[in-house]
Amino acid sequence: MTTPLLVGILAGAILSGTSLLYAALGETIGERAGIVNLGLEGILLIGASVGFAVTAATGSAWWGLPAAAAAGAASNLLFGWLVVARRANQLASGLAMMFLGFGVSALVGARWVGAVIVGLPKWRPPLLGTLPWVKSSTLFHYDVLTWLALPVALLLWWVLFRTRWGLRVRAVGESPTATYAAGIDPSALQYQALAAGGALGGVAGAHLSLSLTLTWAEYMTAGRGFIAIALVIFSKWDPLRAVAGALLFGGAEALQLQLQARGVEISPFLLEMSPYVLTLVVLLAWGGSRRLAAPASLGRTFQGVQ
Amino acid sequence: MRKTLGFVAAALTVVLGLGGRAVAAEKPRLVIGAVYVGSVNDYGYNRSFHDALAQVARDLPGVKVLEAENVPESAEAERVMEGMIRQGATLLFPTSFGHQEPAFNVAKRHPKVFFEHAGGWMRGPNFGVYFGSTQTAWYPMGVAAGKMTRTKKLGFVIGMPIGFALGNVNAFQMGARSVNPEATTIVVVTGGWSDKAKEAAAANALLDQGVDVVAMHVDSPATIIQTVEARGGMSIGFQSVEANVLAPKGWITGLGFTWAPFFEDVAKDVMAGQFAPGATYRGLGKMVAVAPFGSSVPEDVRREVTAAVDKVKDGFNPFTGPVTDNEGKVQIPAGQSWGGDKMGNFSWYVEGVVGRVK
Amino acid sequence: MPEPALAAAVRRSPALRASARYLAVVLAALAVFAAVLLLAGKDPLRAYADTFRDTLADAYGFSELLVRMTPLLLAAVAVALPARLGLINVGGEGQLYMGAWLASAGALLFPRWPAWLLLPLVAMLGFAGGALWAAIPGVLRGLRLVNETIATLLLNYVAPLVVSYSIFGPWRSAESSAYPQSPAFADAARLPSFLDTRIHAGLLVSLAALLFYWLLLEKTRWGVQMRAIGGNPEAAQRLGIPVAVWIVVALAMGGGMAGLAGMGEVMGIHGRLRQGLSPGYGFTGFLIAWLAGGRAMGILLMAFLFAMITSAGDTLQITQGVPYAVVNILLAVILFIVLARRRGWAR
Repeated sequence: MTTPLLVGILAGAILSGTSLLYAALGETIGERAGIVNLGLEGILLIGASVGFAVTAATGSAWWGLPAAAAAGAASNLLFGWLVVARRANQLASGLAMMFLGFGVSALVGARWVGAVIVGLPKWRPPLLGTLPWVKSSTLFHYDVLTWLALPVALLLWWVLFRTRWGLRVRAVGESPTATYAAGIDPSALQYQALAAGGALGGVAGAHLSLSLTLTWAEYMTAGRGFIAIALVIFSKWDPLRAVAGALLFGGAEALQLQLQARGVEISPFLLEMSPYVLTLVVLLAWGGSRRLAAPASLGRTFQGVQ
Repeated sequence: MRKTLGFVAAALTVVLGLGGRAVAAEKPRLVIGAVYVGSVNDYGYNRSFHDALAQVARDLPGVKVLEAENVPESAEAERVMEGMIRQGATLLFPTSFGHQEPAFNVAKRHPKVFFEHAGGWMRGPNFGVYFGSTQTAWYPMGVAAGKMTRTKKLGFVIGMPIGFALGNVNAFQMGARSVNPEATTIVVVTGGWSDKAKEAAAANALLDQGVDVVAMHVDSPATIIQTVEARGGMSIGFQSVEANVLAPKGWITGLGFTWAPFFEDVAKDVMAGQFAPGATYRGLGKMVAVAPFGSSVPEDVRREVTAAVDKVKDGFNPFTGPVTDNEGKVQIPAGQSWGGDKMGNFSWYVEGVVGRVK
Repeated sequence: MPEPALAAAVRRSPALRASARYLAVVLAALAVFAAVLLLAGKDPLRAYADTFRDTLADAYGFSELLVRMTPLLLAAVAVALPARLGLINVGGEGQLYMGAWLASAGALLFPRWPAWLLLPLVAMLGFAGGALWAAIPGVLRGLRLVNETIATLLLNYVAPLVVSYSIFGPWRSAESSAYPQSPAFADAARLPSFLDTRIHAGLLVSLAALLFYWLLLEKTRWGVQMRAIGGNPEAAQRLGIPVAVWIVVALAMGGGMAGLAGMGEVMGIHGRLRQGLSPGYGFTGFLIAWLAGGRAMGILLMAFLFAMITSAGDTLQITQGVPYAVVNILLAVILFIVLARRRGWAR
């Protein structure tokens, strides 16, 4: 393997992995609080479409981005109302959110398909731009979301494991009844976690439409939401491991196109399977131990007992 | 709860009873139905048909156009077309390859409705096909790319490796080779006609590997052109000549479809009751137009490209044997040439193209 | 004041109560969706009227409803069957594609067999394709390695790629490399259709599958055992029941049902293997099974309803300019309403 190919894969992995990471981080907060949202795909789509629509309407992505975050948070709170207040089955509710996301995003985005926007501006630190193999690539030439991806992951880790709020959220995920017995309202914590998680999910979607493709198309997330859910399990619900996972899975997505551009002669369709198969293989290889790493009350959801 | 239920039921019954009555509207002379696989706002394939039909509606009085976007290439398309016929359509334009069989099935059920399918090959008493022969038109595009490239590496993003796309790539490479003997074209397949994230990643991958001119055959060139422009590369557009606004610096030239004259002929014939569907393939100058040159293209390149365009219009066919593929096999023997009817039959890449069909 | 006779009748009969509940949910969902359409500047009453007219008042429209119902019934059973064991199968999409794929392999390998031999073979291959595809997550879940929800979801994305690879590669139709599809299947492999419509024998297969599901679960020992194991897998394990085997078998059977749906689409409608076989039947099947609470009659009714709703999507697009995808909002609203009610109605 030559340097241009490796650089290309790394560069592609970072670009592709940004929205995967934000989505996984958002889902991590929720799952740490004991709630799994299978409809993450819908949240991403809502974020992408709302972000794009607001950007096209106002002319600036700096309006679109917070709008996407707000829309994601609101959607996740709606989901929260179903599973927390009404105690609905989490998996079915998640799928309902997925359908809702398909439809709402199509409705919001319909008016703006084909609009040309100026997306999130990209910035590269001046010194790095002089290095030869950096200059001609996309490395270190990122928008604010990619630059902040690693800091946000660190921040989330710190919040979850070093603050009292994070401790309480994790406690709810382990045992809502114990939390309640300790005098803390589990529902409030779950809503807060879902709101934060939803905002991150909205941002993840917005990265696709406001930075990566600069456009909106129905179903444009193409299953990233589900890969992100698998990514959460892969990273054992730890934000820092999620960074590595996002790079890995983002890399798998980028790999097949980079290989084609390199002239490697494998069927594009077989290559395209790689992110999903890789996800399965990774889960399978390390799956057993992961089961024990799940927040206890989350595990009950997956086994159908609530 | 029971009271609400009763109220809702009653309201719905009344309203449905009232709504069921059709409201008579003034009758148009001709109702045309157009079925698109994507959105018309794509600066690309779908837009070209939409623009042409809008032109027809402007030029011919009494013509009404029904449009359905994002119609998948499956049995769903049949339902959509049936719905349009029920709304009075007597001339249907299914615009995507995959709409052919559904359209043909509908055509069998409605012998008085005419169908013109873009890019197909099935024929019937009320079913015709047409397409713009883009393949030979890509030759002058290759000339432009070959003259403008500095790295001698050209890139081509295609949605799926179907014959028409492969033919476009081949003509492009042959045109480039004719002015730049070391030029190569790298092909990346995204797997779908309209997957924006993949298109952006494909464009990035090509640029990462040293390509500096990118062409494409996907439904909408917008994402690729914008990605290439942001990284300082050059692009050659496809599907709709309007796309040049997306790349003020890097645009070289491009191809677009101009269906309006053909559509108008068909519409007029249908209205006059004398339409006989056929297989219509028109090329450069008739159904395919060359986009304006970008501001960065120097005068001598413009001259050479225009000369190549004229050559093709005069009948030059790059697919004249001997033509060897990129695995060394002779695909078109000496003395033979592939005409417009064989443009869908490509299953190989010409030499100089980096890529595998399967 | 004496109770109205109708209300009393409804109160006394569980079947009528259930029907009244279904009806209430649907009407409420239609009201919410109408509000959404109004907000989008469209005419919901016109849309609903057009839909009713296009589907119920029209022979072609009604036949199309049945065509749509065919794969939906099977997709619902694909979810409902493993659900009795507490398993969540959201892989209907992928299982459908693999059923279509394997059935196509049979049709392409043995084009000269007579129909009475080829049709059953193709049907069995369709079942097998879906069953094997679902068995993978089954084994993974049985071995306690990967949750089947995730596994079936991920495999949904791999299956269509297997189909694409095949039709662009080894099964590429020679008559036109311009369009990706397999060669046309021999007539002997095609499911017969009825009455000059697109309704095909697959509908009979679907109804038979539904009947089989009902019989299995209500009338056999296994059905009872499934529910018991699903309720308390740990206890079952301790009693020596090979829960892992049950898991694999249940998922495989469910997957096989979805595979039959794929076989039906390919042998009954398309006549070739091509891309885009399923506009989300797998997920819609999940919704149907869930709303019906796994009850066979409910599945039949809900499949009919959903066939109408998806029909509404087409109508909405042509007459009101609303993207078809918006119909997903209606599906979501229905599910929301059911989920938001107090528990104890549907699982």
